[in-house]
Amino acid sequence: MRDGSDGGRFRLWAFLTVLAFLVAGIAAGCGGDDGDDEGGVTATTTGTDAEATGEPLRIGIFSNNEGAFAPFEGQTWGGAMLPLIERGATPASDDPTDGVENAVIAGRPIEIVYGGSDSTPDSAVEEARRLVEQENVEILLGPLSGSEGIAVANYSKEQPGVTFVNGISGAQDTTLKVRSENFFRFHSDGTQWTAGLGDYAYNELGWRNVVTIGDDYDFPYSQIAGFVAEFCAIGGNVTERLWPPLGEEDYSSFITQIPEDVDGFFMGVGGTGTVAFVNQYGQLRGNLADKIMGGIFMTDPVILEELGDQVVGVVTAGMTAGDSEEPAYLEYAEGLGNAYADLEGTASSVFAYGYYTAMEAIAQALEEVEGDLSDDHAAFREALANMELDAPLGTITLDENRQAIMDNFLQQIVEDQTGDGVPDVQTIKTIPQVDQTFAGFFSPETPSPDRTNPACEEAEPPPWTVQGGGG
Amino acid sequence: MTRSPHLVERALWWGPGIVVVLVLAAAPLLFTDFYLSAVLTKALWLGLAAVSLTFLAGYVGMVSLGQVALYGIAGFTMANLVEADGGSAIAWNPWLGTLAGILVCTGVGLLFGAIASRSYGIYFLMITLAFGVIVYLFFAQVTQLSGFGGVNNVDRPDIVSNPVSDPANLFYIALGTAAAVYVLLRYLGRTPFGLALQGVRDDPSRMRALGFNVPLLRMLAFGLGALVAAFAGILSVWWNTRISPGSIDLPRTLDVLIIAVIGGLYRLEGAWVGAIVFTVLDNWTRGIDIVGGRFNTVIGVVFLAIVLLSPGGLMGIWQSITDFVGRRFAGTGSSPPEAAEESAHPS
Amino acid sequence: MSAVPPRTLAVRVLIGLVLAFVAVYVGYKAADDPRTFVVVGLNGLTLAGLYFVVASGFTLIFGLMRVVNMAHGSLYMLAGFFALELQKNLTGGEATSAFGTSKAGIGDWIIPLVVACLAVGLIGLVMQQVFLRWNQGQELRQALITIAISIIIADQVLANFGGVAENLAAPSSFPETVSLRLYDISYPFFRIFVLLVAIAVGLALWAMIKRTRFGMIVRAGVDDRQMVSALGINIQLVFASAFLIGAFLAGLGGVLGGTMISVNKGNDTTYLLFSLIVVIIGGMGSLAGAAIGALALGLVDAFGDVYLPAGYTNYSVLLIFALLVLVLAVRPLGLFGRPA
Repeated sequence: MRDGSDGGRFRLWAFLTVLAFLVAGIAAGCGGDDGDDEGGVTATTTGTDAEATGEPLRIGIFSNNEGAFAPFEGQTWGGAMLPLIERGATPASDDPTDGVENAVIAGRPIEIVYGGSDSTPDSAVEEARRLVEQENVEILLGPLSGSEGIAVANYSKEQPGVTFVNGISGAQDTTLKVRSENFFRFHSDGTQWTAGLGDYAYNELGWRNVVTIGDDYDFPYSQIAGFVAEFCAIGGNVTERLWPPLGEEDYSSFITQIPEDVDGFFMGVGGTGTVAFVNQYGQLRGNLADKIMGGIFMTDPVILEELGDQVVGVVTAGMTAGDSEEPAYLEYAEGLGNAYADLEGTASSVFAYGYYTAMEAIAQALEEVEGDLSDDHAAFREALANMELDAPLGTITLDENRQAIMDNFLQQIVEDQTGDGVPDVQTIKTIPQVDQTFAGFFSPETPSPDRTNPACEEAEPPPWTVQGGGG
Repeated sequence: MTRSPHLVERALWWGPGIVVVLVLAAAPLLFTDFYLSAVLTKALWLGLAAVSLTFLAGYVGMVSLGQVALYGIAGFTMANLVEADGGSAIAWNPWLGTLAGILVCTGVGLLFGAIASRSYGIYFLMITLAFGVIVYLFFAQVTQLSGFGGVNNVDRPDIVSNPVSDPANLFYIALGTAAAVYVLLRYLGRTPFGLALQGVRDDPSRMRALGFNVPLLRMLAFGLGALVAAFAGILSVWWNTRISPGSIDLPRTLDVLIIAVIGGLYRLEGAWVGAIVFTVLDNWTRGIDIVGGRFNTVIGVVFLAIVLLSPGGLMGIWQSITDFVGRRFAGTGSSPPEAAEESAHPS
Repeated sequence: MSAVPPRTLAVRVLIGLVLAFVAVYVGYKAADDPRTFVVVGLNGLTLAGLYFVVASGFTLIFGLMRVVNMAHGSLYMLAGFFALELQKNLTGGEATSAFGTSKAGIGDWIIPLVVACLAVGLIGLVMQQVFLRWNQGQELRQALITIAISIIIADQVLANFGGVAENLAAPSSFPETVSLRLYDISYPFFRIFVLLVAIAVGLALWAMIKRTRFGMIVRAGVDDRQMVSALGINIQLVFASAFLIGAFLAGLGGVLGGTMISVNKGNDTTYLLFSLIVVIIGGMGSLAGAAIGALALGLVDAFGDVYLPAGYTNYSVLLIFALLVLVLAVRPLGLFGRPA
């Protein structure tokens, strides 16, 4: 190189720095097997609490600290910390990821071990492995995104001594196909979130011919699968499924392909594309509010503010209802805002709610077994599997695949009533106790949702549809 | 002009080398299962991916950002051909799938090399980067082969065993592959083919005038790089037991570049030095709060510092130290240090 | 070069056949549904306009300084986020970007545009002065430096800006759509506007390079840097200005794209890739090449989404790859590229 030897001193300096990192890292790694290494602990109890008499229990929590979902890390951690705070712990700081102090469940001090992945399955498993094998956590809460969940559920089979509770990753396969004995999910999956929409489209709006459009990856697949399963079961017809490639932001050429004569379309575009899609649709085709359904991200406060009045009237569905007046929900929402000022108003975020129900379930099960995991978690898992979790938005129970059965909420975007200039979201119907199989439509043998599956065919109507005797 | 290295200087190269070999050979006894698997085995296959770049950059002057895409092609090919959740799941014998993965990857490498080998320097870097991102998009978008969620529970030969509960086998396989590739590439550097490649690196026009088919040589070199990358791809799938587009996205591409540059682009050993530094740093910073979620900023700054301060990477620094020590012992007579590096720099 | 070797001839015939097939196929589809053809063609053209604005900055910097700015996409992304934040502050969060509901005045769009472009131009300038200037001539090292910077920028954007993709609001005084008087098409005005801006940028750059003293120095500098310095011209000043303009154009692209499509954290990779493809096709350093490259990429992108057989639209990325391979097979330096 042209800088010759004058860089020599710098190089030596840089070398020594990295060498120091290296040595320290190896030291940390070698120390890991003693079990007393505290290198990864972001919040520990001091053990001085009078009640905390038992052995400390290490719980690993991980969400995304890199990648597209990293901005939601705070919400997930806030949700996960709240059950501990409700049990007397104090937040370590304004930042939920800093954990809590003096957390105690069933007499056992809780040590929270921090982890984070980047939404790819590889990174999720690497992080799960680090937390389980290096940090020796006994219970692992996570991950966040869909394909991560499938990978971690598979990994959980390698670690029968650890109990895994899903964070908010919503792929159907995670519980329906993988069915790991020690993997539990206390929230509904991406397919369950659309329950009620097909019924509404067919019976309320009178739609018969529908086009679906969604980004070409697994989350939109599961969303559209739920809609197709329900809408076609009761007699509707999906004429075309459009799949803009993943990463496409210019939807204009796909919008051009939506036939003008369909009754409406179901939108399964992901979080990064929703605003772009709706605006481009508006420019190319005009008003869309009476044509569109779905689009779970449209009720996200930031997106809703962006989209404004043009989406008033759109109906969507999901597992949370931000307008709920239930005391339990108000208490939960207030608790979240009190604990972390930044999270004020995010109570209805699925990220916060999913991690909240997971941690609450862990806490209640631990209380039931009085913190005793000495039987290889058998009693603890029994308690989880049979739990009737009284969550803020309704009861949650698990099916035989350890997958949540819970209420779903049909929501309509309505004109602003609170005066903040942003349209409001109103729950128009509660779909009670939606199960993962849609009344047997999905099973471990049915193909995973993808571009062509499930096929659009009449089937036994789910119990919550008019045709199924619900409504 | 070459100065025969002083004994002390040689010892400074051989000593640490022998220690590293001994430590690695006994690693399953010295480290926890987790560390063996998650840090050392990972470093070995990441190092393989990086050495395919180091080889191309150091011997042929082709800095390629397509190596991760190539190892992805090997991994995805294998994952689709053997039994797995997702993808085509044809359920071939795992060895057959492995062989097919290596062959397809090398074939694609040769084909792409045929197109790209006529471009030089920074142009070549850009073309390979575009190739890399397009391969990523291809696997992310073509759901028949992978789709966003990837291929899970990929079947592996029995000898690989379970990389989580029984990591020693895979460690030794990775170690053996890495050692074999290292020896092979070192040896190659002294063969007529290797010397011709270095000639192409230093002066393509002169080589052309001497009657060498320069594009062909570069294409073959790129194919060889693809072969080495294919080993990394196969090992990574065995290690992860899965592959997804996220395994070969741009951050991963940059990781391998960072590893190669940190280790030193002009010495083959540098690839593994960089890989071990990278994996140890990664594992270490995950547990501490001061870095938190901003690992990428830290690694970006380290990378920037290395590029600015020590273009030869850590191996370049070590070279400076040994040269310095060697000169002290040998008296004043010395040649300019880093001769190899100087000539290896493609610009 | 008078006698074409048979191998090259075969390649050319093959490419001719491929192009003929594409033309026939597209022609057939166009005759079948001319309205869709026109709309999709416009989609492609307007997209090409955006690509051109971004890539022209990239190619300008390379042409003069041989610096491949791998942080070009990061600058694009940064400008989008800067403009978005600024617009929110100016309008108090009132300017919903949605169709028909934009409350943004003309200033609420222009001011963020100018400030974001200048800020990004300045960042580019600082980057060049602090890191690149003293590594002149070391192409690889400069590329690695810009890669390091792009990693840091991406991580900081992730840390500091919100989670969902958003749009900048176009000024409410802009019409939403224009009527084309052709097959009853009303087409989004802003997309046409982007195309017009792209043409204006192209003409301005062309005029600058061909007609001004600055452009003369730039052209001379591209051919022989040492000679220009020897003539007593402050080439460093020229370099700095060129980098400023190049980064400014990335910023302009970021604001236009942020209004037309979205402001998103993945933008850096996407637009770096697009810039790379455009200049690989067109030839590094060539303005006309950037225009042709952008046009090719935009049209292939838009038509690939629609005219690939249903069920295979996810293979459209292969079309872009094929385009790249096709060009490189015939001209390794791109259509308008010249050896350095």
